Amino acid sequence: MTTTDPIDSGAIDPGTVDPGRLGSGPVEADPRGPGPLDPLGFSPVEFGGDGRPCASYILRVNGFERPVTDAWIGESLLYVLRERLGLAGAKDGCEQGECGACSVLVDGQLVAGCLVPAALASDSEIATVEGLSAGGAASDVQQALADSGAVQCGYCTPGLAVAVHDLLQRNHRPSEVEARQALCGNLCRCTGYRGVLAAVQAVAEARGTEEETGEDAAVAEPAAEPVAGAPETTEPLAAPVEDTGIAQPSATQPVAPQPVPPVSAQVAADLPPAGEMPLYADSEAWVEAEALYPAEPTTAGTGVGIDYGTVTVHQTGIYEPYPGYTATPAHGTPYDSSYESQSSYEAPYDAAYDTGYGQSHYEATPAHGTAADGPVYDGAPVHGTPYIPTPAHGTAYAETAAGYEGYDGTTPAHGIHLQPSAGGTSISEDDHA
Amino acid sequence: MLPASLDEAVEALAATPGAVPVAGATDLMEAVNAGRLRPAALIGLGRITELRGWRYEDGGTAVLGAGLTHARMDRPDFAALIPALADAARTAGPPQIRNVGTLGGNIATAAPAGDTLPVLTVLEATATLARAGGTREVPISHLLTGLDPLRPGELLTWVRVPLLHAPQVFLKATGRSGPARASASVALVLDPARRAVRCAVGAVAPVPLRPLEAEAWVAGCIDWDARGEEGAALIDPAAAAAFGEYVAGACIPDGALDGPEGAGALAARLRRTVSVLARRALGRALK
Ligand SMILES: Cc1cc2nc3c(=O)[nH]c(=O)nc-3n(C[C@H](O)[C@H](O)[C@H](O)COP(=O)(O)OP(=O)(O)OC[C@H]3O[C@@H](n4cnc5c(N)ncnc54)[C@H](O)[C@@H]3O)c2cc1C
Ligand code: FES
Ligand code: FES
Repeated sequence: MTTTDPIDSGAIDPGTVDPGRLGSGPVEADPRGPGPLDPLGFSPVEFGGDGRPCASYILRVNGFERPVTDAWIGESLLYVLRERLGLAGAKDGCEQGECGACSVLVDGQLVAGCLVPAALASDSEIATVEGLSAGGAASDVQQALADSGAVQCGYCTPGLAVAVHDLLQRNHRPSEVEARQALCGNLCRCTGYRGVLAAVQAVAEARGTEEETGEDAAVAEPAAEPVAGAPETTEPLAAPVEDTGIAQPSATQPVAPQPVPPVSAQVAADLPPAGEMPLYADSEAWVEAEALYPAEPTTAGTGVGIDYGTVTVHQTGIYEPYPGYTATPAHGTPYDSSYESQSSYEAPYDAAYDTGYGQSHYEATPAHGTAADGPVYDGAPVHGTPYIPTPAHGTAYAETAAGYEGYDGTTPAHGIHLQPSAGGTSISEDDHA
Repeated sequence: MLPASLDEAVEALAATPGAVPVAGATDLMEAVNAGRLRPAALIGLGRITELRGWRYEDGGTAVLGAGLTHARMDRPDFAALIPALADAARTAGPPQIRNVGTLGGNIATAAPAGDTLPVLTVLEATATLARAGGTREVPISHLLTGLDPLRPGELLTWVRVPLLHAPQVFLKATGRSGPARASASVALVLDPARRAVRCAVGAVAPVPLRPLEAEAWVAGCIDWDARGEEGAALIDPAAAAAFGEYVAGACIPDGALDGPEGAGALAARLRRTVSVLARRALGRALK
């Protein structure tokens, strides 16, 4: 797996982590403990000039220590990153956790930066979108987002880049449903998500191919393994970060071209899929959407799996037709007679034009009084013809001259179940049970 | 402050007046960002690792740490233990929120749409509250209804959930197809040993509601002996539908339907939603 994230170096081994602790990241991640570097640790809260409770602390962002002084304790990580540390990649969309534009990784967890109190993140590893790109170049995820038309106004893009990166780190081959579930906290008002999903697949495929290549190489020349650029194969990219010593996150190496060392590729393949369990797909806890999208049981709630036909790659600007769609003919193309099956027009049109409507199916309205030939109305009876008398109250219907066919004359008593008729209009209940 | 143990945390809480405990901060920072809350000090609970897991107690009870995240509760091992709670956690917001939002925070916030609340209510869970120098046990329903609320200086530490080896269901209706807060939710468990059904309705009132009469009535409609037989109908569909109506009628009183035009229509719709949720929940539990 390729990544530049320092946080990844702590590769969580599921076997050694207390199940309840998974949320808190790598077990050995924080060797410092609540030492002098943790200014919050039980020191009395300071108060700023305006009487607000303030704190000074050090954040570890993309592998670098960034001091923050005299910050109000209510400041969010998003605010501190943008306004105090100058890392304006994460965007402020809502400050309410709804939009995902502020997505960052804290101890390897995808979180909404706007809902993290920065002061409490002082002993955590923070990774932002700036840490994804290498030396000013776009990461493979970012490039794929741009290539597949997932960027329009771009406001959601940094958050999506982090979320996609996180998804692909946990799940190397996400299905579309899994991708949608993983990205459901990132709102985009512009693109409609198709491009994002395409980007996820593109990166997954590209990385997969890389891994295969790496494996092939391992089979072909196992001796080449140690010189593959990273003897410590489990964290091939961690070293350069420390070596540079430059306080810029861009000092990491390019992501995409780095061949994945064979050992780590194998490890990655052996791991059980670390992805989130499907959020709603297999859940019975999703009700309304089932009614909306009954077609695919596995996709309830995500809107995934609605078959849009063979829509080709989005945003290419060229729309390929749906199967069965006949293109509109070029201007001037004569009518295909099959187009209007009843049409007696012949091309060119003007042949019939001057001779009136004779050849069409239009028939003139008949003169007043002409008997209509329809089956329904056969003329009003002569004045004075007596009506069939309405039967006396209580007379059974069958006795009337015009007894209804099939009607046995009795309304069933209230409460008797009607047999559904052959064409059955009985309401079938959507019970899912 | 980031105390590393429970004792340190309760001491810090007692020593710092106005200090606010912070778990995942998803509710807390929302309030801070909106200007509704100006904490004097923050006490982070994230480092108290003992609260982030769960354990078993005398066979029949699971003791859940208040620091369990929604994402953790959604995982298969936990879902095998308390499926309804896992279902509730699975739908409690987008991944960014569920990765950090905790069970304890959900209970302490006690929002009407809190998804774990109807489940805990229907499972008749109890909460352990710790303060400097002592702890006490409170039924979840007492905590939520304010009968016995969380007091200043107290921390929610554990949630005791009786393990029922019987079907349990959580269903939630929302206003959109993405992750969203519930407009109504229903948690339902069967208790075959006592031949009982328990049901709680969330999000339609400030606290989860238990329609006790409907529970007792429907328990009598179920053919408990047929359970496990191939193709056995455990309940008449009409009775299941009537149960839905009964639950909905109990939770959304007739008076609400007579509200001013819009409100009345909303209440009627909500009633129908609850009715369908309850019927389906029963159907799934008896499947
Ligand atoms: C976008 C978004 C969507 C959401 N969707 C849902 C949803 O669908 N369903 C749902 O149920 N919730 C939802 N929530 C609400 C929230 O995520 C949950 O309520 C969550 O469980 C809160 O947990 P927390 O750890 O973040 O609490 P925090 O924000 O850390 O704490 C909330 C409150 O509880 C107190 N507290 C926390 N832990 C303890 C403790 N151990 N002892 C005493 N007091 C404590 C805090 O002091 C604070 O007052 C959503 C929130 C957001 C921002
Ligand atoms: S700004 Fe954080 S989720 Fe919108
Ligand atoms: S590109 Fe505009 S919000 Fe996504």
